[in-house]
Amino acid sequence: MGRFVVRRILQAIPVLIGVTFLIFYLVFALKGDPIQALAGEKRADPNVAAMLREQYHLNDPKIVQYWHYITGVFTGDLGTTYTGRPISEIVSERFPVTLKLALTAFGIEAVLGITAGIFAALKKGKFIDNLVLISTLVLISIPVFVLGSVLQLELGVKVGITPVAGIDDGWPNSYILPAFVLASTSMAYIARLTRASMMESIRADYVRTAIAKGLPRRRVIGIHTLRNSLIPVVTFLGMDLGALMGGAIITERLFNLPGIGGQLAKSVYLRERPVVVGLVTLLVLIYLVANLVVDLLYAVLDPRIRYE
Amino acid sequence: MRGAKSAKWVAGAAVVALAATACGGGDGDSKGKGGSSGGVISMEIGEPQNLLVPSNTYETEGGQVIHALFTGLTKLNEKSEVVNDLAQAVETKDSKVWTIKLKPGYTFHNGEAVTAKSFIDAWNYGANQDNAQQTNPLFSHIQGYKDLNPGPKKKVATKEMSGLKAVDDNTLQVTLDAPFSAFPAQLSFSAFSPLPKVFFNDPKGFGEAPIGNGPFKMSGKFQHDEKISVVKYDKYPEASKIEVKGVDFKIYSNLDTAYKDLLANNIDFHIAIPDSALATYKKDLDNRVIDTADSSVGFIGFPLKYNEAFKKPELRKALSMAIDRKTIADKIFQGARTPADDFISPIIQGYRKGACGDACNYDPAKAKALFQQAGGLPNNTLEIGYNADGGHKGWVEAVANMLQQNLGIKVTAKPFEKFQAILNDLDAKKYQGAFRMAWNMDYPDMENYLRPIFSKDAIENGSNYAGYVNEDFEKLLVEGDKAPSKDEAIKKYQAADDILAKDMPYIPVYFYKLNAGFSSKIKSISVAGHNVLWDTVKLS
Amino acid sequence: MSEKTIEKTAPAEGAVSDKATAAEEKAAARQASLIRDGWEILRKRPMFYISAFVIVILLALAIAPGLFTSRSPFSDGFCQLQNSLNPPSSGHMFGYDVQGCDIYTRSVFGTRNSIIVGVVTALATTALGGLLGIIAGLRGGWVDTILSRVTEVFFALPLIVGALLIMSIVGGGDAWSVSLIMAVLGWPQVFRIMRGEVIANKHNDYVMAAKALGADTTRIAFRHILPNTLAPVIVVTTMNLGVYISAEAALSYLGIGIQHPNISWGLMISDATDRFLTSPHALLFPAAVLSITVLAFIMLGDVVRDAFDPKMR
Repeated sequence: MGRFVVRRILQAIPVLIGVTFLIFYLVFALKGDPIQALAGEKRADPNVAAMLREQYHLNDPKIVQYWHYITGVFTGDLGTTYTGRPISEIVSERFPVTLKLALTAFGIEAVLGITAGIFAALKKGKFIDNLVLISTLVLISIPVFVLGSVLQLELGVKVGITPVAGIDDGWPNSYILPAFVLASTSMAYIARLTRASMMESIRADYVRTAIAKGLPRRRVIGIHTLRNSLIPVVTFLGMDLGALMGGAIITERLFNLPGIGGQLAKSVYLRERPVVVGLVTLLVLIYLVANLVVDLLYAVLDPRIRYE
Repeated sequence: MRGAKSAKWVAGAAVVALAATACGGGDGDSKGKGGSSGGVISMEIGEPQNLLVPSNTYETEGGQVIHALFTGLTKLNEKSEVVNDLAQAVETKDSKVWTIKLKPGYTFHNGEAVTAKSFIDAWNYGANQDNAQQTNPLFSHIQGYKDLNPGPKKKVATKEMSGLKAVDDNTLQVTLDAPFSAFPAQLSFSAFSPLPKVFFNDPKGFGEAPIGNGPFKMSGKFQHDEKISVVKYDKYPEASKIEVKGVDFKIYSNLDTAYKDLLANNIDFHIAIPDSALATYKKDLDNRVIDTADSSVGFIGFPLKYNEAFKKPELRKALSMAIDRKTIADKIFQGARTPADDFISPIIQGYRKGACGDACNYDPAKAKALFQQAGGLPNNTLEIGYNADGGHKGWVEAVANMLQQNLGIKVTAKPFEKFQAILNDLDAKKYQGAFRMAWNMDYPDMENYLRPIFSKDAIENGSNYAGYVNEDFEKLLVEGDKAPSKDEAIKKYQAADDILAKDMPYIPVYFYKLNAGFSSKIKSISVAGHNVLWDTVKLS
Repeated sequence: MSEKTIEKTAPAEGAVSDKATAAEEKAAARQASLIRDGWEILRKRPMFYISAFVIVILLALAIAPGLFTSRSPFSDGFCQLQNSLNPPSSGHMFGYDVQGCDIYTRSVFGTRNSIIVGVVTALATTALGGLLGIIAGLRGGWVDTILSRVTEVFFALPLIVGALLIMSIVGGGDAWSVSLIMAVLGWPQVFRIMRGEVIANKHNDYVMAAKALGADTTRIAFRHILPNTLAPVIVVTTMNLGVYISAEAALSYLGIGIQHPNISWGLMISDATDRFLTSPHALLFPAAVLSITVLAFIMLGDVVRDAFDPKMR
């Protein structure tokens, strides 16, 4: 297993270099001039625009621009935005916010989703099962923005038990409501995945054996059934961790949290290549680690799975 | 103009002084945690685009902060009139050579005295192309500007504009290239603020914690995407007129969220009420609101320079007459816009109600007749492009539906990712349809609504995206510039405006309004040019 | 990364091949009866009929919307701005939207685009992601490594970047191009789920047995592993269907979703979000139609899984 992990980590190096180049190239392929973007709907002054283009090497061929970027990265300089802010500063300010939000959401969706799924599976066709089904439908068909907005208005403005927005109240107060909203769609997936897998496992031979052996039902469900049902759920959670970090654009905007997702959207909009490349590369890294953990968990959950 | 949210130069002054009505029930007010107390208030802004340097701030969000930190030579008062601020007198005989006397006693927040040189150095920095400051073109009237802007890739030979001269510490003499009577108005823009000596050692570091000469000084650094805190500067000569002890500019990426924070008393002033709250905000806030005219105008434009289909003015007039502006203003904008009847904003001296004439009146029958007379459009189809990022979908689709119904042609609303995408396609002569567009003034003068969008010169260097050219119009503009008095200038400009109404290069659709709201902590507050006038803020 | 590979067992050819063929035949017969049994189970489930009925109605709405309403959303004067956001009334049971268009008629006519986007995207992501997932899971080794790393890049690529790029290649604006964009960006999710399931299942006794009997990889994949991995894939696919239908509207903000004057539920929902506090009906009705659609597909997925998943016997 040690060798397996080391190999996976070594694989990350070519992947990251490839990804930085790919993303750099892709953001390049997007139409749009980052300097005009700074001038909004007015036409940018030609002299000023020319000066800025030169200053940020925007007139150089793509490959030269990439070279400027990647040599900078290797000397610890992630570059600056086209308004002169160091990207390393942006990352270090925003990453902690995103991490807190994503992990809280991750916890909420894992706990609530799996619990709801277990109950739905055990009480198939009963009230709980239908309740879970209806909640699932609501979470899927109501836009996140609407759900978040209503909760914000009711809990934040009217009742006042959660902050309306911002991170002034720190973790966990400022993060619980946004994390719940962020987790909502995935929670629906997890609940239904857990329910489906549980229902299969309940009927598996080893569960029948365990029950026949006279083991208490709680233990059978907790250890035998659940463990074997978790593989698709764990797979989903692994994918979702990255999505929670980079894709929280709507939630971050709604709750005014300065995180990675909002910055990424803004930078794509402004065509700030170095920022987009930096942040996407960071996300790839996160997916890589999350998927490595998932693959390791497969073996924990099902002892028959081993690594070469 | 960058959309309603980020437009610099909005001169509609808005004064709302409420006879402190009953404070809306005790529990409502005590709940708010609001980080501000003891004379400190908080307001929403968006993240400033650039670091906080006056000459690099050409948008309202950063402009709001700069305005609190810096004091310029002139300012707009509550009625949007240009009055002296740090200047004691601004004098000229020919509108070309200006002598400006400074009031003594102003200092920067680090103690340095504000002198004529503080202005000259700042303007020379802002105008120099090597420094790539966003407001660079605003300095173009000053003699010697061209020396600092020889053009891309060319070396700047001097660092000073020949038109700037410090007669003594408190007297500044400015020579312009040509007479320009709106110069004092232009001076009220924060780009013309003075800068202390420390700025030039480290402009970047300065931008994170600027040292200004205004009523407020920075408290700590610019906390990106979170907030900027300023506190009252006690040595400010007019400090006694300012009741507010400090301001927290809280940075929001979403107006809806800021509005909810206003409702929960977490912020005290919200300058741009979101669309979702327009129907209810007056009731929600017990009429603690500002609802007044703003300076922007919304248009529908045509690629006249390369699409022959739109060539006939009658056709454009027919399209204009088929738009029910009133219903759009009421139903889509819920009263946050008013129907446009001129190319000039109603807050500008020289605006005439109904100047646009019949062309801006809704008359579907006449429109259809005129449209058919003019020969209609190829394939009986029309596309109206809009940028999907600016909240334009609703009204553009409404216009499309109306044109389709009233003219019997197929009209579609086409979204672009952002305005720049429309601009690219227009420059490349790729896009054949009509497009939305808006204009917001750089300075409160009629000329600023004509030349930058409709003159020949603005095709390359400005915002004449249609490529409209009319020699008579050009002539009247020049005559207006040369006119000896403001009234005569306005007459010439109005004659130019009439040509637009006849030609309809763009269709004026609506005028913007300023809709703001404040908490019960504030008794009254005024806004001019989209900036809070801090000496007018009275607390409850 | 892979876990123990399984295809390398290679039993001495001839010796076992007869036996293998015999076993495979038996397996094929069992497979056939699996399907027959499945139908038997399906036919007894009322839920099957209910969901099938709803789906048939939806298809009818998509194919011939004119049968369900006398109005046409494309006729001149269909939208009257004066009626903007008027609440439900007789003759207009869902009320009006922002533009003053009848919501019922628009919901009916929006069915086609929404169903195309939902069903096509869900099927395409499941087919592509599922197939690659089986390959990666079974093969392991470098195949799995490459496919897995590719998915990581896809996941990290912001939707805006991916969507704008694909759009610049294929153009945009109709339901098919929207489906294509979302399918290209969406398959890695199903890939991950399928791969995980295959890895979990390939060590099961029945796979080992088939393998020992010399069955080839393709056969193992489709005869033995696929039926056993159905459950999570069906769950994810049916849920995706609804998510894709509403996510389509997000693309219209980039100028690449389904565009005016075309209609979809996603667009109706997103147009209504701005004013939902004062006019909730404009949001609730299209959202309700979307919910019913997703519900029908979830129910169908459930009964199909119950019927065909060998583990559920």
